[in-house]
Amino acid sequence: MTHLTETTILTKPKGPRMIDFSAPRHRKKFGYLLLAPAVILMALIIVYPILLSVDISFQDVRIARVGASDKPWTLDNYRWLFASHEFWRACWVTAKMVVFVGGTALVIGLATALLVNQKFKGRALARLFVALPWAVPEVVATVIWAWMLDSSFGVVNWALLRLGIISEAIQFSQNSTAAFFAVCVVMIWKGYPLMTIMLLAGLQSIPEEQYQAAKVDGASVWQRFWYVTVPNLAPVMGVTLIMTTLWVFRDFAIIHVLTGGGPLGATTTLSIMTFEQSFSYFRMGQGAAVGVVTMLICAFISRALVSRFASKSH
Amino acid sequence: MTHLSKITVMGAFAISTALTALPAVSETLVFVSWMKDEPGYGDWWNEIIAEYEATHDGVDIEMTRVARDDYANAMFTMFAGGSPPDIVHLAAFEYQPFADEGWLEPLDAWIENSELDLTGWAGQGTCEWDGSTYCIMLLYTGYIMSFNEQMLADAGIDAAPATWDEFLTAARAITKDTDGDGLIDQYGIGLPTKGAGSVMHSMLNFVLDAGGAWTVDGEPTFNSPETIEGISRFKTIFVEKLSPPELGSGDVRQLFIEGRVGMTVDGPWVYNIVKGASDDIRPDLKLAKTPFSPPVGGTSNVLGMPSDLSDDKKQLVWEFIELATSEQFQQRFATLGSSPAPRPGLDYSEEIAKDPYFALFDAANTDAAAAGIDRLPKGLEIEFAEVSKIVLEETQRMLIEDLEPAEAGQRMQDRVLALK
Amino acid sequence: MQRSKLGQIGIYTAVIVTVVLLLFPIYWMTITALSPANQLRSFPPVFFPEEPQWGVFSELLATQPFALWLKNTILIAVATMILALSVSILAAYALSRYRLRGGATIGMFILTSKMLPATLLVIPFFAIFKQMGLVGSLWSVVITQSTLIVPFCTWMLKGYFDTIPEELEHAALVDGCSPFATIFRIVLPVAAPGLAATALYAFVISWSDFLFARTFLQTSESQWTLNMGIAALKGEYITDWNVIMAASLMASIPILLVFLVLERFLVGGLASGAEK
Repeated sequence: MTHLTETTILTKPKGPRMIDFSAPRHRKKFGYLLLAPAVILMALIIVYPILLSVDISFQDVRIARVGASDKPWTLDNYRWLFASHEFWRACWVTAKMVVFVGGTALVIGLATALLVNQKFKGRALARLFVALPWAVPEVVATVIWAWMLDSSFGVVNWALLRLGIISEAIQFSQNSTAAFFAVCVVMIWKGYPLMTIMLLAGLQSIPEEQYQAAKVDGASVWQRFWYVTVPNLAPVMGVTLIMTTLWVFRDFAIIHVLTGGGPLGATTTLSIMTFEQSFSYFRMGQGAAVGVVTMLICAFISRALVSRFASKSH
Repeated sequence: MTHLSKITVMGAFAISTALTALPAVSETLVFVSWMKDEPGYGDWWNEIIAEYEATHDGVDIEMTRVARDDYANAMFTMFAGGSPPDIVHLAAFEYQPFADEGWLEPLDAWIENSELDLTGWAGQGTCEWDGSTYCIMLLYTGYIMSFNEQMLADAGIDAAPATWDEFLTAARAITKDTDGDGLIDQYGIGLPTKGAGSVMHSMLNFVLDAGGAWTVDGEPTFNSPETIEGISRFKTIFVEKLSPPELGSGDVRQLFIEGRVGMTVDGPWVYNIVKGASDDIRPDLKLAKTPFSPPVGGTSNVLGMPSDLSDDKKQLVWEFIELATSEQFQQRFATLGSSPAPRPGLDYSEEIAKDPYFALFDAANTDAAAAGIDRLPKGLEIEFAEVSKIVLEETQRMLIEDLEPAEAGQRMQDRVLALK
Repeated sequence: MQRSKLGQIGIYTAVIVTVVLLLFPIYWMTITALSPANQLRSFPPVFFPEEPQWGVFSELLATQPFALWLKNTILIAVATMILALSVSILAAYALSRYRLRGGATIGMFILTSKMLPATLLVIPFFAIFKQMGLVGSLWSVVITQSTLIVPFCTWMLKGYFDTIPEELEHAALVDGCSPFATIFRIVLPVAAPGLAATALYAFVISWSDFLFARTFLQTSESQWTLNMGIAALKGEYITDWNVIMAASLMASIPILLVFLVLERFLVGGLASGAEK
């Protein structure tokens, strides 16, 4: 990511309307031209909605209608937010979920990537299978798991009972811990394959000579893993972790369908809280405040992670 | 850069215009409903639409289905985004925030001009908000009990339960593990508890029977002794595992027609579902008066129009509403939906002759209406979603921490009062 | 080579156990779809139905506009892929080859789009597309999805472009080739594996979309996608798990096939990009 962190000073170019982009002095202009579609798309689809949400979050409104006249700005929604027990609980739930889902998905992703990176017959097929859940649409994944985790007739409860792990069927609506882990399991199932794919790609770009050199120095399998594989994978791990973290922060469908945020708020993340305030309770001002704060938290985390991993890789 | 971005913006607009510039040949009324293709009511809507299009040249009605689970959100997005459907169909417990925002057209002038007489129209009182009429009630129902006669007989119960005690006894007798693997696979009761609204709704059966109510004269009464008795009965059912947990209302009906639960309490629409059961079970499935008195009843769904339509379109939509409320189509409603229509003075002798259950539905309606029952608590309409979330959470807390129902009732009361 | 034989057996066992565990939900979807409705809620569960009910598929096709949903989903996925790819190719090339002022800001900005709680943005999105007259048009979903996909695609492609030596392009420019033509004639052919990987990513993500389709296309039934159809099947009056699973299976098969064909490019295409 070298170019992202470097800045150069652009001299103001003057010239005729028709610009010869191959001329050296217009090279940068051409660069901006190439970037323009992405920037325009982003400005339209990302910036405007953010500004609108920030605006709504400062208004004391139940239902804000786009294009309607604004109410005066106030900090009421933020005052409510920081005083609300629900908000802090949602932060805690989100943090737990991010750490648990991110960590487990990383472990499974790394384990499966290392496994299918071995040389064996049928390896291509194994790689395909291991990454398959990634291609299953989220709606489909959610209905499958909703059915498997059914409290009365689900196959998961049955299997746990038969294996003697539990003595009584788990009621996901009456067990905060079970509900939390149910949501996490589904997220991990949907989230680990991207880790596998990215880490596998990372593994393949590690030069074989480094392993050979380590072998010559008498490094054990574990030592080779810690001193060759892990440092080489660090940048990829960083990027995939950021992606997974942000995905858990944003995800709505899985939790909404499986638990609706319950029981007693055990699975109410910031994203669910945003939705609940805006759409269930018709308190859009408060909902927007939750959303804006969520966005700031995410920006802060990714900023921290990006600079950390960016510095590590150089 | 500036003229470059200008060109791009113009280009984007040109493309978007080209994409949408379809020739407008006729007027289309957009009608969104969760009832499309449902057995019974869906057919009724189709008949109205066919009749309307036949009598209105050049006007098409585009009926679109939106799943019930997403319904309020979808409507909310459409209204807030400035593009509501032309014909507004909403559940009776969710129209109030829309009316409160001024998104719905007050219908008083329209009703007066077309001389529509709404005296005695079942549940129409619910359509009044802030002194104006915002909608026309389409359905008011009293709940009935459906039961599996064979399962009751196998458990040694030979008559449909008629009181709470008999209901509880029967439920205990039916609930068992039929194949001896240690897991209960046959339940006495199917009670929907999935989703915030359904816990409150299911609990209301017992609260009403115990003489309680969510509100009295608009003031919350979650902690009255009668309401607490109702909460206590609900707790008994789930503590003793007489109903499978976490069912949606769709799951309950499915389990009932599969012969896995013995008794359910539901609206008359359950009859259309029972008709779809497989041949070996259908003869065992019977309907009866609920063992609870008064029965849960309530306004179900309403029809209205958005306030920001053009006058021409409003006229077209009103004509649609007039057709739906006409005597002819109210009679069809009773026939197709197998439930009494809200319009007073209809003759149901034909329906009753065709199907004896119709008298049962009619009686349940009359009982619920006479007791002035509505599942939407008066005085809490705007906060209804939050109130049902509170009831859900405190019920879960009661079951998880095994709290006394009185404590749960008190917590509900405190939290609801804090909302207001 | 005794040890390696043992090792091989170990690897195969590990692979089989892993694959069985991870793919069980997909298997369970298939079995549920093929089981008769009244056997679904039984203990022990039926792991292999004696008489698979193939009729459920034809019944679905007869009662639901499945072909229409499929067509819409394909149109959205293909259009999203093309739009997202075109935009990201240009942006990635610019970020890879030109040291642009504000490049860091733009890079950060691009990443930002990954952080938005989508539920917060639904109403602003709806208003924007309403103004453009695109509510109810597949374009609304295509444009939103593309925008959200572009950041990752740009990052992937930039990594890939960085590995391609610049000398080729200089030579082409000296030969009088225009900068645009250089990208298309020189850079893209070399970057084909990276492009395939990015295309697959865009395709899979847009096939999975539900929130935006639900928001923009809800009221025009002729524009529904497969995911919306599945959600609608979980209707208000009754829950038929076998029908829902049959629909889910049919909605997944096309994307699983695409994945089957293009998966090898995904890892290969990413491998070069991942170094950066």
